[in-house]
Amino acid sequence: MKAVGARLPRYDGVAHATGRTVFVDDVRIPGALWVKALRSPVHRADITGLDVSKAEAMKGVRAVITWQDVPLLEYGHLSALGIPADEPLLAKDEVRYKGQPIALVAADDEDTAMAAVEAIEIDFDEKPALLDVRQAFDPDAPVIHQWGNWYPHFEAEMDRRQIRKGDIDRAFEQADVIVQGVYRPAAIEHVPVETQSCQVVPEANGRLTIYSCTQALYFSLGVVAAHLQVPLNKLKLVGGTVGGGFGGKVDTATETMCCLLAQKSGRPVRWRWTREEEFLCSSTRAPWHMEIADAVTNDGWILGRRMLTLHDSGAYARFSPYGLTKHSFHHTGAYTIPNLHFDGYVVFTNRVPTTAMRGFGVTSISFATETHMSRIADVLGLDPWEIRLKNANRIADTSPNGVSYTDPSTVSVVKALAEGIGVELSAALRAMTRDPREGDLLPEHLVAQVGSLEEVH
Amino acid sequence: MNLTVNDVAHAIESAPLTTLLDVLREELEIMSPKPGCEQGGCGACTVLVDGTPQRACLTPVAALDGASITTVEGLGTPGAMSPVQQAFTHHYAAQCGYCTSGMMMAAKAYLDGGGTDDHHAIQEALAGHVCRCTGYVKIIAAVAAVARGDSFDLTVTAPSVGMVNVGGVS
Repeated sequence: MKAVGARLPRYDGVAHATGRTVFVDDVRIPGALWVKALRSPVHRADITGLDVSKAEAMKGVRAVITWQDVPLLEYGHLSALGIPADEPLLAKDEVRYKGQPIALVAADDEDTAMAAVEAIEIDFDEKPALLDVRQAFDPDAPVIHQWGNWYPHFEAEMDRRQIRKGDIDRAFEQADVIVQGVYRPAAIEHVPVETQSCQVVPEANGRLTIYSCTQALYFSLGVVAAHLQVPLNKLKLVGGTVGGGFGGKVDTATETMCCLLAQKSGRPVRWRWTREEEFLCSSTRAPWHMEIADAVTNDGWILGRRMLTLHDSGAYARFSPYGLTKHSFHHTGAYTIPNLHFDGYVVFTNRVPTTAMRGFGVTSISFATETHMSRIADVLGLDPWEIRLKNANRIADTSPNGVSYTDPSTVSVVKALAEGIGVELSAALRAMTRDPREGDLLPEHLVAQVGSLEEVH
Repeated sequence: MNLTVNDVAHAIESAPLTTLLDVLREELEIMSPKPGCEQGGCGACTVLVDGTPQRACLTPVAALDGASITTVEGLGTPGAMSPVQQAFTHHYAAQCGYCTSGMMMAAKAYLDGGGTDDHHAIQEALAGHVCRCTGYVKIIAAVAAVARGDSFDLTVTAPSVGMVNVGGVS
């Protein structure tokens, strides 16, 4: 037990402080080729012509790849969970977001690689783009995805993540006030100081050694193997050193394409995105559109919540169905609301695909719920601390998806927050605990939702 | 074209307009200066040019003939770390480590110039450096500790640093 409670130095602290940590682009491989990408200059278009012959003929160009070089073109980030794939590794007939990769070049040096990208001939038929989730459901909206404008493959082929709990109509009949709000947190770029980078060595024994900055080594292993249609033992991933990720290095952004170039050229390859590429076309945290209507009583109880969420997935699904599922399970925030009617959609737009970022799916609803709690307090003229503590999750309360809480922390966190910012709570609020509801804290409308602790043990 | 890097003289072969960053990393294989944005915005490539912090990514090597360059490799080694390196280790001032080299070089120049442990002054000295992991509190604490002349026990990390208001709001 020497480590518990002790202040131990970081295992990599001295390496960081002496410049000896080896990040992916710090690996030096003799003869490595530079990689550059041809990316879509427009949000949405049909590709009507693609000719790489001039690029291939250039001196110093060792390989050019397009969709035709990918053994399995479409493989989804959730394919291993049985969710169908929708995204080609390289664009084939169409592009759906600005910056989408279409072709890649490996050349002797960076300048040659850039010149070769310029030499690729491509023709587009540009189409109207869909950039706002609120327009995706309009009858005259362009249909921008092969599945329609929203994801249709939740369980039982439902086109939404849906939660129904209690009796929502009765809650709204009993309400003194309906408090509504619309919350729209914007996209956020992760901005790791290390851009996406990768190096791949085609080994003499036929394997590929992949130096990767991924946050998810074994996940990337599966994705690369699937696209390449090779067994896992043909790939050796070297990783574990990430120059900032925050979720933005969960998607397999570079490894597969570098492997294809290494195979085609027979040479090691090296790809380091520019900062411009990182901003233009690396995945972001999603923008969200959330509409909340709460049925509340004059004394600060929340009887029910109706909610609509539009989760901007960008051009392809990636992890968004998973992110929306987490969101739905947390859609009451840290509070207990017994009657719920939630519909959430993963909406496709012509934005860059969105992905993981520090609690994705949950941070959006936390922002919306906390803002909404303060709005309810404003409307009712009540203390915002009181309505938080009254409605706080307590032991044996049930979550939106019916799980009995055994270890809820809302009460202690709210009290710590008050203390941290110097707010003096009343004696009654200070006495609040997370113990199972009783007395005044168990009004009639909350009785039915209380679960049995035995059920979860 | 001659450069002295960490007290070692080099005859440079790269083209005159090659950036100092590429000369260091690609020709000399000195890897602590990092390519972060390659347009002067993030500070990860910062090195000392004759003692002054400079963005290696924006500096053509032709402008530096005869200059003396210092990188993190020139500050100290794992067995003999300089005070700035000890402080960054002890105060847990690096998380992913990618901005750390540039941060330390800016800190070194600030301290060599007689910088104090004043948080606003340290913040000003590091203002051109982006960290996306830890925030800046521990980095500022590390620099302040060197300015105070603290000694560092590298077998433990520092007690957690209380939130210090460096935003100018009282």
